[in-house]
Amino acid sequence: MASHREDWAIAAPGLLLLLLAFLVPVGSILALGVRTEGGEFTPAYVIRFLTEPYYLGISWRTIKLSVVITLVCALVGFPFAYIMARVGPRLRLWLVILITLPLMTSVVVRTFGWMVLLGRGGLVPDIMRSLGLVRRNYTLMHTEVAIVVGMVQILFPFMVLSILGVILRMDPRLEEAARVMGCTFLQSVRRVVLPVATPGIVAGSLLVFTLSASYFITPSLLGGARLPVLAGSIYETATRTQDWPFAAAQSLILFTAVLLLLFPYIRLTRKAGG
Amino acid sequence: MKPNVMLSALACSFLLAGMSSSAVAQRATLTVNSWGGAYEKLHKQLIFEPFEKANNVKINVVTVYSADTLAQLRAQKAAPQYDVVHFSGGQEVVAAREGLIAPINAEELPNAANLYPFAKEGMSRGEGPVHLVTAIGLLYNEKKVKNPPKSWKDLWKPEYGDHLVLTDLSNSYGLLGFLMMNKVWGGSIENTKPGLDKVRELLDRSTIISSSPEIQQNFAQNDAWVAAFSQDYAHVVRQGGQPVKFVMAEEGTPAVFFTANLVAGRPNQALAKKLIDFSLSPEVQAAFAREMRYSPTNRLAKLDPAVASEVVYGDAVNGLVRFDPAQVDANRTALVESWKKLIAR
Repeated sequence: MASHREDWAIAAPGLLLLLLAFLVPVGSILALGVRTEGGEFTPAYVIRFLTEPYYLGISWRTIKLSVVITLVCALVGFPFAYIMARVGPRLRLWLVILITLPLMTSVVVRTFGWMVLLGRGGLVPDIMRSLGLVRRNYTLMHTEVAIVVGMVQILFPFMVLSILGVILRMDPRLEEAARVMGCTFLQSVRRVVLPVATPGIVAGSLLVFTLSASYFITPSLLGGARLPVLAGSIYETATRTQDWPFAAAQSLILFTAVLLLLFPYIRLTRKAGG
Repeated sequence: MKPNVMLSALACSFLLAGMSSSAVAQRATLTVNSWGGAYEKLHKQLIFEPFEKANNVKINVVTVYSADTLAQLRAQKAAPQYDVVHFSGGQEVVAAREGLIAPINAEELPNAANLYPFAKEGMSRGEGPVHLVTAIGLLYNEKKVKNPPKSWKDLWKPEYGDHLVLTDLSNSYGLLGFLMMNKVWGGSIENTKPGLDKVRELLDRSTIISSSPEIQQNFAQNDAWVAAFSQDYAHVVRQGGQPVKFVMAEEGTPAVFFTANLVAGRPNQALAKKLIDFSLSPEVQAAFAREMRYSPTNRLAKLDPAVASEVVYGDAVNGLVRFDPAQVDANRTALVESWKKLIAR
């Protein structure tokens, strides 16, 4: 009993911070989305969102892009994390530094870097042009491809580091045993490493998905005004048209969607013993 | 020994800080807003710093855009924190109506006598005077464009190909440019369908930008030829080395009017009025025109011929089109939403 009280005492500052700096403000913002000015409950803002093809289109783009970004991160991140786990500690340290170094730079700066690379006359369109793939004046700016490229670069470390942690904890003898028992390398990866790494992949995917669904700087800079995503729409509604209740309703919908994702995640990781 | 030295150094610095802040407290303080970036730098250099020196006053500059300033004034109604507020989006009309800013009698500002009529017209309604103007017209690349655009309708000429730049309506320059296009195609502030329908024709051959600095990037890197934008940014782009010219379109030139307003219910109103008057002086306005190509509203402001050729200057400012801010404000949300739906892919 006494130790229980101590636990609470130790956790109290963190809980208090969470309550004051997160739950209360976020809760009141979300409440704004379902209340009239008089304070009564109203679903009007949420209904407005769900009945307008424009906002449904934005939501669809947000989900579609987040899924693509998550898939790309997972497909590239898993082999990368596996190799990081299997190289020597010195090289691994360098790879970790390499992966986390971009995190030390502001997202805005990195996004501007992509604007230079992807814009008209930038490095990427230039190479594509010299390969004869595109015409002169081709630009990748203001396309969904640009958003995916920029977001993958930002979120890749989250995926790699989540998977790396799991693979590092795995007993290498499991893999050796699989090879001794006649598995090829790819078979051992598929039947031994992949199942063990699943919790890491799922955790990484969840991180990447929720972050990309709620990012607005990079999509709005690389995608431009004609490719709005949900987080960008919330920002615009709150700051430009100053329609706070409707912005809150959009936040509520984004929040609910992300929350719905959490449940299958918990079930999946439990099954995988994570 | 070492910690002791550190401690006494720390104590000393606290003492010094305390002394200097009490010295400041003896001087009068004015709190004002400005809009950040190059504009705020110039605002400080040309108005606030000289005024501080001349009047032994401390000016506390807060970087807040016009719309947010209005929101703050409303929230602070019981205990206002600003002395002078600057607006660029017509917010003074609303602020005056709600009693957030105090009327100024034109006789109280010596420089007001020399303002063009439109610049002091709002004062009778309790708004602050207009101290600077930037006109919205057409920017074009002199090297690439053979036939310079003359009218708003020229934007629809096929010869400019896909080298057009349009501006999102979340940007106030974009909003005014659109309202003007809408007007020349037969629309009004309440009926924006004609403009929206015509802009739809341009969507496939234009780049849409949302923030002002992007205009420069589009002329520098994206092979932009023609854009509807403002005279001050035409100057910024030209300073950046692009051969860009600004033209006033023949159907009319909408403009952004920068006003300086006296906040109601503040103690230092005499000093605040002096600051507003200072921003109306011919020298200050001429300096703003020289540095960033804003049009003066004081008819005594003298500009060099080179500067004068690049701004709307002299009696021409009287002909600028002003969309009624209250009416724009009432229709803004609906318009911005229809616009977003129009441009979304």
